[in-house]
Amino acid sequence: MRRWLSFHAWLVFAFLYLPILVIVALSFNQSRFGVRFTGFTFDWYIRLFSNERILEYLTNTLIVAVVSTLVSTVLGTLLALGLVRYRFRWQNALRYLLYVPVVVPDVVMGISLLLLFDVVRDAIGWPRLSLFTIILAHISFQIAYVTLVVRARLMLLDPTLEEAAKDLGATPWLTFREVTLPLIMPGVVSGALLAFSLSLDDFVVTFFTAGPGSTTLPLYIYSSVKLGVSPEIHALSTLMVGITILVLLLGTLFWRKRS
Amino acid sequence: MREAATPWERLRQMLLTIGPGAFWLVLFVLIPTLIMLVASLMSRGSLGQLVPPFGLHNYLRFFSDPLFVEIIGRSLWIGFWSTVFIMLLGYPLAFYVAQSRYKEALLLLVVIPFFTNFLIRVYAWIVVFQKEGLINGLITAFGLPPAELLPSTFAVYVATVYTYLPFFVLPLYAAVERIDWSQLEAAYDLGARPIRAFWEAIFPQTVPGLFAGFLLVFIPAVGTFVIADLLGGGKVTLVGNLIQLQFGSAQNWAFGSAASMVLMAMVLLGLWLYARTQGEKGLDKLV
Amino acid sequence: MNRVWLVALLGLLVAGCGQQKKELRLLNWSDYMPKEVLEAFEQREGIKVVEDTYDSPEAMLSKLQAGGDAEYDVLITADYTVGSLARAGSLQELDKAKIPNLKNLDPQFTDPAFDPGGRYSVVYQWGTTGLAYREDLVQGPVESWAVLFDPARQVGRFLLLDEMREMVGAALKFKGESVNSTDPAKLAEVQTLLLEAKRRSQGFAGGTSIRDRLIAGDIAVGPAYSGDILAAQAENPRLKYVIPVEGATLWTDNLVVLKKSPNHELAYKFINFLLEPEIAAQISNSIGYATPVAAAMDLIEEKDNPLIYPTQEKRARLEMLSDLGDQADAFNKVWSEVKSR
Repeated sequence: MRRWLSFHAWLVFAFLYLPILVIVALSFNQSRFGVRFTGFTFDWYIRLFSNERILEYLTNTLIVAVVSTLVSTVLGTLLALGLVRYRFRWQNALRYLLYVPVVVPDVVMGISLLLLFDVVRDAIGWPRLSLFTIILAHISFQIAYVTLVVRARLMLLDPTLEEAAKDLGATPWLTFREVTLPLIMPGVVSGALLAFSLSLDDFVVTFFTAGPGSTTLPLYIYSSVKLGVSPEIHALSTLMVGITILVLLLGTLFWRKRS
Repeated sequence: MREAATPWERLRQMLLTIGPGAFWLVLFVLIPTLIMLVASLMSRGSLGQLVPPFGLHNYLRFFSDPLFVEIIGRSLWIGFWSTVFIMLLGYPLAFYVAQSRYKEALLLLVVIPFFTNFLIRVYAWIVVFQKEGLINGLITAFGLPPAELLPSTFAVYVATVYTYLPFFVLPLYAAVERIDWSQLEAAYDLGARPIRAFWEAIFPQTVPGLFAGFLLVFIPAVGTFVIADLLGGGKVTLVGNLIQLQFGSAQNWAFGSAASMVLMAMVLLGLWLYARTQGEKGLDKLV
Repeated sequence: MNRVWLVALLGLLVAGCGQQKKELRLLNWSDYMPKEVLEAFEQREGIKVVEDTYDSPEAMLSKLQAGGDAEYDVLITADYTVGSLARAGSLQELDKAKIPNLKNLDPQFTDPAFDPGGRYSVVYQWGTTGLAYREDLVQGPVESWAVLFDPARQVGRFLLLDEMREMVGAALKFKGESVNSTDPAKLAEVQTLLLEAKRRSQGFAGGTSIRDRLIAGDIAVGPAYSGDILAAQAENPRLKYVIPVEGATLWTDNLVVLKKSPNHELAYKFINFLLEPEIAAQISNSIGYATPVAAAMDLIEEKDNPLIYPTQEKRARLEMLSDLGDQADAFNKVWSEVKSR
């Protein structure tokens, strides 16, 4: 059984990485046009490192992704906890509200958030469009995803464990930290990963809520549509994937040595 | 349920957990949605922006043209089947990852392809599917005639399945990782055969994750448009394309908002109907 | 847990702080302005230029309408958007006394159809939208829009351009009309024409996608932008470009100043800077499109290339897009129908 599972899993992984291999190949492609392989070159990587703009966009993207993921994971986990553990009057409305960011088309969310920021700015003179407004916008849809994922995990938890801790005299905070959190951690991690990917890739909402100088990588890539995507982007993508996998491998090896 | 010393403490705890998240959702989700609702009742100005008069004309237009109903139907169809394929691919994968010694690493491995950019990945699929692309390169190497994969609904399915797979695997993993395998053993002890044992002992434990995963895939998949644009050659029009068009060249924000409201209402209605059929506990299971 | 809050708060604070040096905020297509040019301007004026990019004129219009027009000083935008922006009150009427280098412009561009008198805009780059094709893949001559619109004269697989004004304009030209015609009867014919062509085509795609698929041999012919093809020909010399006999559009991308910007003076200086012959030449040589600055022609590398600078005879066939004003709705409806059915 395990072998079939394994075979299936690695087929799916192959499927997941097929486009990545294409991107890697294109990053070494001599041709500027990503259609045919004309020759091998490191040019694009060299140009990437001297392209300050792309590196600035990458930094912006990472700042937004990390900050928004942190905030939304915390808020979403708490929200999931509250929804599962407590009963209160508006809980059904809140539950449906969670699905709104999931279903609403990006363009509508983007424009309505922009309008909201305008109204607020007209009233109190703040905020201006910037990385900050992008982060606010991202958190808004990330919370929904994190909450839904953590909830799925939380619902499987046996409440008697927490009650036992309570009986032994633990405060709610201690119970949460030592009992609940470790048990829901895979859910929290999954939710955080999902939130991170969503932020890293978001274009439409970001476009409408970004201000001058707060261009992120997706904004830059999408607007390359007119003149064609530069293979420097392929090089960047290859590096991002490569470095993350490398860190992952090293981390796994190191962790194995420790235990 | 948590027991606190006093009702005030209970309230305080509740506010602490739900408060920040709920506040955020109300401010940045509910209010923009209301803005959208108001917009859907307005009319189109000469520059496409929102002007009075108010009215239900956008909704009337939406439901009176069979084209739009057809578009929604097509979106639901593609969304549904994409989700089915994703579930078939993702369900065993979640088990494999959760049972592995390196589960965190494998989970990360599932997500890493999505650290590249969505548009780039779709362009990569174009390279795979185009007439002199990867697949045809393989096919012609065997002497067979090249296949017309771009544009095609098939390509749209493949790319949609590809794009939303992690949305399914991540929530499901969260549930699968928690599975109590001793229940399986108990089932065997009671004489059940493997398939029956799995169905009765293990599958129910994955249901919360399965539901979360299904919804997190199906709902966005119905609203997708970039994939249909690039791989369907603009010939596969989904409700996402329709809405995008309203904020794009059609310059009709009012109608676009109305279409979005219809989409949202459909989804929420579906959720509500399902919760009703499940009785009292239905909403708990679902949302 | 406390540490997490702290980091998040710090992050939000850092992101919330703005920049302090005097800036010129520019909104443009990506890779459409060489960074050496921006750097030269930065050094000359001692300021910083912040460039943001957009991926489609309509998205950019939506953003500006929803309040984004207070965020930028200068915009580089397509010809047909200038009218909408002006009517929306977003544009500053140009103080031409502050832009003396306007005299360097080719007279053809000083009073364009989409902006009479050049009150709001200055042409930045221009090009044509014709038919690009692979001479080794087509099964017939490519001289007319008929290769797209007449089933009997199809020469190979083709794509349609995903740009409303260009594509509807091409169909209008095929019917012997102006690209700016809003005659309801003609538009209805054009809609039928486009829907029929869509069925036979490989679908809609953006300009660069069409170029890429031509290079890949995926299609044999398709509408394309002149400058795109220039770059592509280095890759595949069998790629050719023609301005169809019925005519084609001469499109321009234009510099405009946003009314709500607090930096009008700086904006005028910037536009003036871009009209200097050496700078204009540097721009065109770098990005491959045509410059409207007549005084720069001697410095242009491609000045004898008819692909970028069509001959007089061909120029007679070209037409500029004009602002449709209130009639734009008719175009929008046609395009909506064509894209959704």
